[in-house]
Amino acid sequence: MHSVMDSRPFFEDYSVKPMQRQFSPYADNGGSIIAISGNDFVVIGADTRLSSGYSIYTRDQNKLFKLSDTTVLGCSGCWCDTLSLTRILNARMQMYEQEHNKKMSTPACAQMLSTMLYYKRFFPYYISNILVGLDSEGKGCVYSYDPIGHTERSSYRAGGSAGALLQPLLDNQVGMKNMQNVQNEPLTIERAVGILKDTFISAAERDIYTGDSIKINVITKDGIKEDTFELRKD
Amino acid sequence: MFQEAPSFWQNGPAPGSFYNFPNTTFNQLQNSASDAFKHSQSPVTTATSIVALVYDAGVIIAGDILGSYGSLARYRNCSRVLKVNNNIILGAGGDYGDFQYVKALLNQKIIDEECLDDGLKLKPKSLHCWLTRIMYNRRSKFDPFWNNFVVGGLQDGVPFLGTVDKLGTAYEDKIICTGYGAHIVTPMIRAALDKNPNINKAEAKALVLKAMEVLYYRDARSYPKFEIATLDQDGVEIAGPIDVSQNWEIAHFVR
Amino acid sequence: MSILTYNGGAMLAMKGDGCVSIAADKRYGIQMQTVGTNFQKIFEMGPHLYVGLPGLATDTQTVMEKIRFRKNLYELRENRKISPKVMASMLSNMLYEKRFGPFFVEPIVAGLDPVTYEPFICNMDLIGCINKPDEFVVGGTASAQLYGMCESVWEPNLGPDDLFETTSQALMNAFDRDAISGWGAVVYIIEKDKVTIKDLKTRMD
Repeated sequence: MHSVMDSRPFFEDYSVKPMQRQFSPYADNGGSIIAISGNDFVVIGADTRLSSGYSIYTRDQNKLFKLSDTTVLGCSGCWCDTLSLTRILNARMQMYEQEHNKKMSTPACAQMLSTMLYYKRFFPYYISNILVGLDSEGKGCVYSYDPIGHTERSSYRAGGSAGALLQPLLDNQVGMKNMQNVQNEPLTIERAVGILKDTFISAAERDIYTGDSIKINVITKDGIKEDTFELRKD
Repeated sequence: MFQEAPSFWQNGPAPGSFYNFPNTTFNQLQNSASDAFKHSQSPVTTATSIVALVYDAGVIIAGDILGSYGSLARYRNCSRVLKVNNNIILGAGGDYGDFQYVKALLNQKIIDEECLDDGLKLKPKSLHCWLTRIMYNRRSKFDPFWNNFVVGGLQDGVPFLGTVDKLGTAYEDKIICTGYGAHIVTPMIRAALDKNPNINKAEAKALVLKAMEVLYYRDARSYPKFEIATLDQDGVEIAGPIDVSQNWEIAHFVR
Repeated sequence: MSILTYNGGAMLAMKGDGCVSIAADKRYGIQMQTVGTNFQKIFEMGPHLYVGLPGLATDTQTVMEKIRFRKNLYELRENRKISPKVMASMLSNMLYEKRFGPFFVEPIVAGLDPVTYEPFICNMDLIGCINKPDEFVVGGTASAQLYGMCESVWEPNLGPDDLFETTSQALMNAFDRDAISGWGAVVYIIEKDKVTIKDLKTRMD
């Protein structure tokens, strides 16, 4: 800005800043993830819509990544970061297996993911990650992350574009929050999958970045079972 | 408050420079840390939409041959659908210079792999993945290749269609349109394929022809000459330049 | 930070069978600091009419005074009770008058028609754009959480008792996931011959 107090001449031609178009290295490609764990299983679901703004890129994008026979990662947010992160993650899983001659456990994988995210603290992967699997005792476990590697283990979690819509419902239906005189009987796979589908149906009603269909992975000691479920497509 | 005394070298040139135009941001840019990244380009000569879809036995990719210079239709013979090898075709949109640079990288990569002499040829999924890394690496340097790429191919006899944008965002689908095409013709093509999911090559060509016509009517950066690349068991065929069948009769009804 | 989220608060209203509910939290805070835990933001505007004003607390009270004044004038001049529909229109017009310097409240109107006792709910944005759905309306800083809850727990033709339970559960679970809402809640169940006001004891953190 040319100051009024300043009597020196103002040369406009020499004050033009370099022409630039704003380039953002990030995109919000939407998507939601839900994970619910039980005593001897864990289920994780992700919608299959890949979008940007008001455009739907594809209605059939898997956002669940199988890292081992007992570990699955769900990613939503910046899709190009997801692609990069999961590729490095797969390489690190393979390196671990070849160096230690054993598969990486889910808790170890969870710690590694946190470290990998924090490694890019000042140019983060813009992803909301939820990692699920079975721990060393065979119990279901859910780890959730912020984009720079803060992590927490919990028994259920919702994340992604409809995370705020879904989480209170899980608190109520899985965590039995704000309920009186109910005994907390152990969760079954059928009930967990049922809640998961219901919450996604609700999310698809109000979140435009969630919809089309969901992919569900059910992880037990017998392996990973896949399932799909249709959502509204508008 | 004391009034600050003028410095001995007020308004003088910065150390090492000859003259200092007074009161210009030019000097500030030179003397202070710039608040902007110096690179991070913007597109110059640009190409518009790419239209691509999978038909029963292969893939089809189309794009017009205009290189726009802003709103000026400057270069009218810029081919941007090409054969990579016998089982890959590639379409590109966005900055034409960046496209030519990536094409050079790609050609060098093919030569390098040829030198291995292992009898293996580049596959569509491999190229798609490679482009993803090229684009993501450049976006991570805040100096992106300003392109959309569409890779079509046959991998183990199965049609493949995938895309990569300037961030490295990549996905596969049966229908891929970039740029204006994503907004104007994807709905049309999705509707056509919902009605008849297994179209043959001729039907696919007719559909793409219609898409290019629609785009020519409403995309101001489009051009009535385009090329179509198809790929199936019979090999790659690049047709064109093809003229858009124009019909402006209906224009009189638009008020 | 938007000025709409300066004080915090969560609110919703639901339609039932011959009844409506409106409920809100009781927190009054300044950004992340809780100052009061008994802040009123739902106001009685008639025997079957309640208006909720989530948003900036000072505007909650200013707008409440303004609509109470206008409602009183209306009832003196017309010699009849104001209907929820008229209240909503009046409020909407009042807010739009300040289109370019708005009050930072997103009002919710809930009630029964004084003549037909037909349930009525609506909400509007801070410049008065009215939304009148058949199911539920939400407002305040926990609106995303409330949408998620309501979308799955609400069902058609709920009786007064079920409506109370549904409304309470939706509100409590939603504001437990919002740092600047909660600290107690109040639920109004409006029926033809009675209005039940219940205070909810909730977690205070």
